[in-house]
Amino acid sequence: MATETEDEALQGQQRKFQKELNAGIVSLVLLSIMAGAREPLYGYQIAKQMEHEGIGTAIMKQGTLYPVLRSLCAAGLLDSKVEPSVSGPPRRYYHITEAGQTVLAQWKNAWVTTRDFVDAILRGSTP
Amino acid sequence: MSNSVPRSIQEYLDQLRAELAGADPALIQDALYDAEEYLRGELHAHPDKSEEQILAAIATTYGAPEEVAEAYRNTEAKVQLALRTPRPRKRESLIGRFFSVYADPRAYTSLLFMLLAFVTGIFYFVWAITGTALSIGLMVLIIGLPFCLLFLSSTRLLSLVEGRIVEVLLGVRMPRRPVHPGNGNSRPLMERVKEVFTDPRTWSTLFYMVLKLPLGIVDFVIFVFLGSLSLSLIFMPIEMGFSHDIWFDIGGYDVFNVPWIVTPIFTVLGIVLLAVLMHLARGMGWLHGHLAKALLVKAG
Repeated sequence: MATETEDEALQGQQRKFQKELNAGIVSLVLLSIMAGAREPLYGYQIAKQMEHEGIGTAIMKQGTLYPVLRSLCAAGLLDSKVEPSVSGPPRRYYHITEAGQTVLAQWKNAWVTTRDFVDAILRGSTP
Repeated sequence: MSNSVPRSIQEYLDQLRAELAGADPALIQDALYDAEEYLRGELHAHPDKSEEQILAAIATTYGAPEEVAEAYRNTEAKVQLALRTPRPRKRESLIGRFFSVYADPRAYTSLLFMLLAFVTGIFYFVWAITGTALSIGLMVLIIGLPFCLLFLSSTRLLSLVEGRIVEVLLGVRMPRRPVHPGNGNSRPLMERVKEVFTDPRTWSTLFYMVLKLPLGIVDFVIFVFLGSLSLSLIFMPIEMGFSHDIWFDIGGYDVFNVPWIVTPIFTVLGIVLLAVLMHLARGMGWLHGHLAKALLVKAG
């Protein structure tokens, strides 16, 4: 009994940590997917794109992407247009703006610096 | 709250709605739209799988309702904080509080909304009345029903547009997405038509469009009357410099003639009156915003 609750507590800790990590990088991931896209994509396609990148879904739930997409749009990093679709209601297609490209380049730098720093610290702590 | 694994899209949406209970109705509408778009997309992309099979895997792909609900709440809180116009500093004294309206960006945007409400009010009113009259008139013909449906869907589009105006100028959160039409193409046509007519939001949207005209007129009258009066009072010393004698003309009678030296009193009076107008604008803005939310957004 005691070990079960302990396990649960550990899992809870891990989920919480993952969520906090995600909060910071989900915008970077989305912007980078959009920068790599050859044509405007709609929500479902973007979510699937992340799935193709491999481990995606285990780390980030696709349902958490939509509100971030919208806030990136509000910040002017993405732009969107609505187009009708054959299989349902009109879809909103997103594409990256010039400001988005600039910001992405900055974020990439910040990410590389952070990653190297964390890696260095981790190497130091685990011989 | 039931945490059983949802077996159908409708069940998933119901659980998500329950998880978001208490959140802004506009946020709920957006979240449900996104989820439904994703789930229907998934269903469309895997025609070989049943709805139940797809939903069995949903907790690992799209996320369980409680996870998704939390993501929306968090992102919303952050974005609202970043985009909100800064609040003016809280003043202690009564006079300070009264005049702090001059430093409140929301008061200026509300003023703009009041002026705009007159124009949009006329447009919505004409659109709603003409559309309703034509719909009823044409009902005896074969094009009656299609015309009526076209008109009603145009009011939904207009309600989204009005939502944008309300959110930008009044700061009341409005939906960015319409209500998802659901599994549109596979249901019988008559059922969908019936849904349009039984949806209370259809009629509350029409009611809002009609109501905008009287409200817009009240806004406009307040704006023009108080605006012109306070501005002319504020600039009275300058006006006196040109014409040398100014008198009040009420109903064709000259009431009194004032010497130049007392005109700064009128300037002060004008500044007070303008502050009153801005308070009124903020109040009307609050009223408009909450009316729009109550009538245009489906209750959570």
